[in-house]
Amino acid sequence: MIRTGMQEQKALRAGAQEPEEYLSLCSFTAGTARFGIDTHRIREVLGRRLLQRVPLAPAYIGGIVPYRGEVLTTVSFRALLGLPPFAGESAVLVLEDCESGDRGPNDEQEQHGTARESFGLMVDAVGGVVTVARSILAANPATLDERSKTLFDGAFRMPDGLLIRLDPGMLRPARLGGTGLFRHALGAATGDWGAMSCVR
Amino acid sequence: MDELTKEFLAESLEGLDRMERCLTELESHPDDAALLGEIFRSVHTIKGTTGFLGFKRLETLAHRGENLLGALREGRLIANEEIISGLLQLLDGLRGILQLIETTGGEGERKTDDDHVLIALLNGLAEGGPQKPVAPMVKAAEPVDAQVTAQAAAAADKTLRIDVEVLNRMMNLVGELVLTRNQILQTTLSADNFPKLARRLDAVTADLRETVMQARMQPVGQLFGKFPRMVRDLARTCGKQVRIEFYGQDTGLDKSLLEAIKDPLTHAVRNAVDHGVETPGDRLLARKPAEGVIKLKAYHQSGSVVVELIDDGAGIRIPRVLEKALERGLITEQQVASMTEREVLQLVFLPGFSTAATVTSVSGRGVGMDVVKLNIEKVGGSVELESRAGVGTTLRMRVPLTLAIVPALIVQSGGQSFCLPQGALAELVYIPRREAAQAFERIGDAELYRLRDRLLPMVWLDRLLTLDGHEERMQQETHGFYLAVLESEGCRFGLIVDDLLAPEEIVVKPLSAVLREIGLFSGATVLGNGTLALILDVAATAERAGVRAEVEEPVATASVAVAELGSRSGSFLIFEGAGEGASSGFRRERMALPLEAVERIESVPVGQVEFAGGKALLQYRGELLPLEDMDGTLLDLAAKGSATLATVLICRRPGPLGAQAGQRVGMVVRRVLDVSNGTLMEEDVEVCDQRLAMVKEKLTVVHQGFLGPLQSQPAQRQHWGAVA
Repeated sequence: MIRTGMQEQKALRAGAQEPEEYLSLCSFTAGTARFGIDTHRIREVLGRRLLQRVPLAPAYIGGIVPYRGEVLTTVSFRALLGLPPFAGESAVLVLEDCESGDRGPNDEQEQHGTARESFGLMVDAVGGVVTVARSILAANPATLDERSKTLFDGAFRMPDGLLIRLDPGMLRPARLGGTGLFRHALGAATGDWGAMSCVR
Repeated sequence: MDELTKEFLAESLEGLDRMERCLTELESHPDDAALLGEIFRSVHTIKGTTGFLGFKRLETLAHRGENLLGALREGRLIANEEIISGLLQLLDGLRGILQLIETTGGEGERKTDDDHVLIALLNGLAEGGPQKPVAPMVKAAEPVDAQVTAQAAAAADKTLRIDVEVLNRMMNLVGELVLTRNQILQTTLSADNFPKLARRLDAVTADLRETVMQARMQPVGQLFGKFPRMVRDLARTCGKQVRIEFYGQDTGLDKSLLEAIKDPLTHAVRNAVDHGVETPGDRLLARKPAEGVIKLKAYHQSGSVVVELIDDGAGIRIPRVLEKALERGLITEQQVASMTEREVLQLVFLPGFSTAATVTSVSGRGVGMDVVKLNIEKVGGSVELESRAGVGTTLRMRVPLTLAIVPALIVQSGGQSFCLPQGALAELVYIPRREAAQAFERIGDAELYRLRDRLLPMVWLDRLLTLDGHEERMQQETHGFYLAVLESEGCRFGLIVDDLLAPEEIVVKPLSAVLREIGLFSGATVLGNGTLALILDVAATAERAGVRAEVEEPVATASVAVAELGSRSGSFLIFEGAGEGASSGFRRERMALPLEAVERIESVPVGQVEFAGGKALLQYRGELLPLEDMDGTLLDLAAKGSATLATVLICRRPGPLGAQAGQRVGMVVRRVLDVSNGTLMEEDVEVCDQRLAMVKEKLTVVHQGFLGPLQSQPAQRQHWGAVA
């Protein structure tokens, strides 16, 4: 498993050096919007799973799922967007928790503790793999609110609407906790505990 | 590096470790031929192999050492302090070179890699000449020493010696596992042999787990090995006389845990030498032998390994701790007033705390005990500190046997499953719905449960975790509650859960950093049904719920009393006896029997009791048991019909002193109440020929005739003191 991760990383680095014209993205939906993540960064799509909730966890944590003998912490994308929880069973994407796109000196330190750890992303439904041209990628608009700015990595102007690009590195639970923007769910009652664990 | 060299390095380092242990032992037994032989062999083996591998520098050094050791072995020299110091330096030198070979592949050609001084020293020692040049050498060698030993240890960590027998057994079990898998793949769920196969799989897995765990178990003694040397060196730097003693070195502990407690333990031993044991002068003033003793004990206790570090030093001065904590702003004046001694001692574990008056090179920089605690807690263990001024300090580290698999009880709360580690679980109490209102008592906001006359703080798990629907369940709940009595670090509390599922051996999986931050869960596990359950960290739960360590456990004082007062006190079985007019419920008396007199408690239908010559008899396990009726209990019960169950205590009358125990008797009682510790009162306090005892501070009549010969021996009486 680690080896595949390394290979992917190598592929990634190679990709970074000579940007290819086309990208292959895995598309999924949350709420009404469509999102895409680079297929290289996805380890596995777990399909519909029932998640075990974790009491007192920050609001953006959807729960935990068993994954290859480990316990996978899963981020609820709906919670990040400030949407109410999904009515049905959510699908889970397993993402790599390393090599983020916006690595700063601080990130390096953060990663030390959680390096090579993967995490899950809980979404409404997984679409399919789409190949898009790099040229149709637009940067985040300046008017985007603070929360969304920390999550989105630009958008592709698809013929049938926008496909928002996400960077798994930006969705890492450790990073989300660090920004302090997602501690409190919108109107959720768990706020107090979140704040407390923040203090601790 | 080729295999041969690698093997040579591992073997040599191991040999040197052995040599180090022997050398420190040699100091106390300078003429032990076996020890000398062992040391000689270690050096000789190195010399022999190095010659073959072509490490010249190593060979020369080993050769010189061998000369000196040869002289010792032949009795030409007697091992004195200088010689042992010299040999220890030789050891460090050899270890340094081995280390160099391991990292660079060569034994070093630099100027600093010169052994002339050491060789000259060894030659001098071998000739029995003046050892003047020793002194500067000691100082030069010391800083290198710590570094080198640390590195050497790192190299040894990667490998593990396993008995081939164990490895074979593992292979057999894996074979069996494969066979069982093959069979399972070929069968279907509905097949007749499926349950059998499942059981087999279960058995094989359990065996395999056991074997792997065994292979990982290493004696704690491995860890202790380097301490004699360390204590020796430290004591010399501090100008103290310290001896270290080991107990229970064979106690097995998982390899990874052994590694985890190594550093904390080393630190604690350093602390004990530096702060714990006083200087010889102070010790003599305190009427203690000049030589301090540090005892290191390891033993198994209820699924965990306990490592105790006991020194007979000055102990921790409570006022000093408080003063320091105030000075550092760790606590406030108000807090001081309400703190128990136990809590004060816990302050030592706070980061940035040190009471050492002077900062020495060894310790006292204010880093330490907090790291010890942190490291032990990281592996699921706990640290306790006990100290008595002038008598000494005991540091108790408790670590689980293994990290990976722990027995746990699965409970349910708010529709979610949680695991409670069995180690922390003391008992389970079921509270029926209708009794709940009486069972719970309140003081302000705190809810308490009265468990055998002791108040237990109650924590609702669902409320603590802010799970949904607590209020609803409170309304709807019809089946009652389960109260899990948990104990951790001296805290005792009742955790209320909705349901108990099953005891399971769970495989602990770590949580990600974000979830660890919550602080209440020590991990998660996959349950038998495939779902995940979080493992509750009992100590953290107690802390979060605000449960504090109990001030002084009454039971503990009682047991101390037992130890001190001997036969006068002990455990009693308490039951409801009946005085006159007992049937009306008035004047009920608490009666007691010494617990050791009671063999069994049986429920017998009254109809089975037979009568002969006016005496009630019971046929019990092929013998006729005379029944002793407590004040017409039997008649009362018989009036309710022959199927009514009577409670019969099967007792054995004590025989005369030293003789076999006497006849068995059955005693019919109304109700068994409790088992508790108590003390027998003086015979002068007898009321109408009945002996009285204080059990739980209540007057209890002790049934005559069952007191052991010791307890009724008149000679014993004069030793009896006041009733506790």
